[in-house]
Amino acid sequence: MRYLRIWGRLAIMSFMVQAESFISSFGYLLGKLTRIGFFLFFLFSIFKHTDALVGYTLPEIALFFLTFNIVDILAQLFFRGIYGIRSLIREGDFDYFLIQPTNVLFRVVFHTVDFLDVVTMIPVFFITGYILRQIPGGISAVRLLEYGLLILNGMIIAFAIHIVVAGLAVLTQELENTIWIYRDLMTLGRFPSDIYDAPMRGILTFIVPVAVMVSFPAKAFLGKLDKVWLVQAFTMAMTSLVLSLQFWRFATRRYTSVSS
Amino acid sequence: MEGVSLIELDDEQLRSRSWREGLSRRASFLMERFRALVVLVSFYYFWSALLKHRTTFVGYDRNQMITYVLGMNILRSLVFATRTEEIAGEINHGRLSGYLLKPVNFMLYTLFRDLSEKSINLVSAIIEVFGLILIFHVQLQWPQNAQTWLLFLASAVGATWLYFILSFMTGCWGFWTSESWGPRFLLELFLEFTAGAFFPLDVLPQLAQQIIKSFPSPYLVFFPLQIFLGKLNSTQIINGFLMQGFWIMAISGVARLVWIKGMRNYGAVGS
Repeated sequence: MRYLRIWGRLAIMSFMVQAESFISSFGYLLGKLTRIGFFLFFLFSIFKHTDALVGYTLPEIALFFLTFNIVDILAQLFFRGIYGIRSLIREGDFDYFLIQPTNVLFRVVFHTVDFLDVVTMIPVFFITGYILRQIPGGISAVRLLEYGLLILNGMIIAFAIHIVVAGLAVLTQELENTIWIYRDLMTLGRFPSDIYDAPMRGILTFIVPVAVMVSFPAKAFLGKLDKVWLVQAFTMAMTSLVLSLQFWRFATRRYTSVSS
Repeated sequence: MEGVSLIELDDEQLRSRSWREGLSRRASFLMERFRALVVLVSFYYFWSALLKHRTTFVGYDRNQMITYVLGMNILRSLVFATRTEEIAGEINHGRLSGYLLKPVNFMLYTLFRDLSEKSINLVSAIIEVFGLILIFHVQLQWPQNAQTWLLFLASAVGATWLYFILSFMTGCWGFWTSESWGPRFLLELFLEFTAGAFFPLDVLPQLAQQIIKSFPSPYLVFFPLQIFLGKLNSTQIINGFLMQGFWIMAISGVARLVWIKGMRNYGAVGS
């Protein structure tokens, strides 16, 4: 509860910062919405000339794209603080976090909340709701539960990746750019993992688990995901979370301060 | 070289200085190339999957579509690579005054700074494309004759100039606001999508194509690649060049006005 209150305070502060530069924020917001709109329009246009892509219909392909957006935007919304970790370390804020009576990782991850993503999420949720109704079989409680749990699972993996990036930045005072490698790789999840050949699919499932984070929830909703994969996905998320937290502890133990 | 002023540098020295400057920002350069590679790989697989069980899609066979995707990567690197986003910061922080006091044409200076950025990205994009050709054993559709090559190169030069003026003009927003980043992000996204920098514009419905073709953006990527693939007849090529020329002149005129108005507004804050 205390942490929820702190998060609320941090979120309000972030909102005030963004509201100060209204024109820029508005431009970014419109840009984000335009990107989603253009991609949906592209998919819609493609399906004017074909009935299916790797066996999926238009609503199904749109579901993959929207699921990618949900996971990606939620991760940006909640874990935005990682993007500025280098400056936190360089300017001494990280040292300040270390002496505060709160969890350091919590302070680092949540010290910024991107409110533009809150606004971006609203149309994405509405369109996803509409698309889910278009899928044959409709919305069943079990499918929806599996879909929701796997999105949460994807968020846990995203959180683990963000922790590793933060740990690398603490260890090296550099490499904060690693987060952009993750963001770029995430875009491979815009399309179903079935479009990739076997080696690439393997990489996207086991090495950079974009497919687990994005394709698995959509496939589960479509009833095309084996239960074995469901278990495997949850195991992967838990393992990556535990390992990333261990790495974070390892990195912070070796931190000797660089700025204060 | 660091102690040498801009006045003492000729164009070649300026370009080589910018090259070294560009390479010194290795992290952001590598990130940019990595992003381009991811876009390239994802669209390669997307179109390969779509064309797996069919011979053509909206008039493109597999080789043509893959050529478009790879050509798109090269043209994106040439046309869209820019450092004009720095102009707004230079205006906002008063660094522009430093350039104005020297006998240097600021627009030409930014052009050469951009050319260095473009050439580094272009070399990298060509290496990436040849790497992918080797890895995926891709067959490209090359132009049939030297004339097509020349027309393609001319349209690519026009596209590069057109985008440079557009982005220079958006950099000048810094004269009126310190918040030009957001609108610039929006404009760049719009231009990339409507330029055909992600997919050929032919896949869009007719009405959307007609609307998009009334903007300058299709002449940035789509038009040069249509020439490269030999998809245009001589009338369409002439019309395309006329339109590209029209947009270059029109936007150059507007950019000049924006620069003059901006200079009147410039208060050298921060210098």
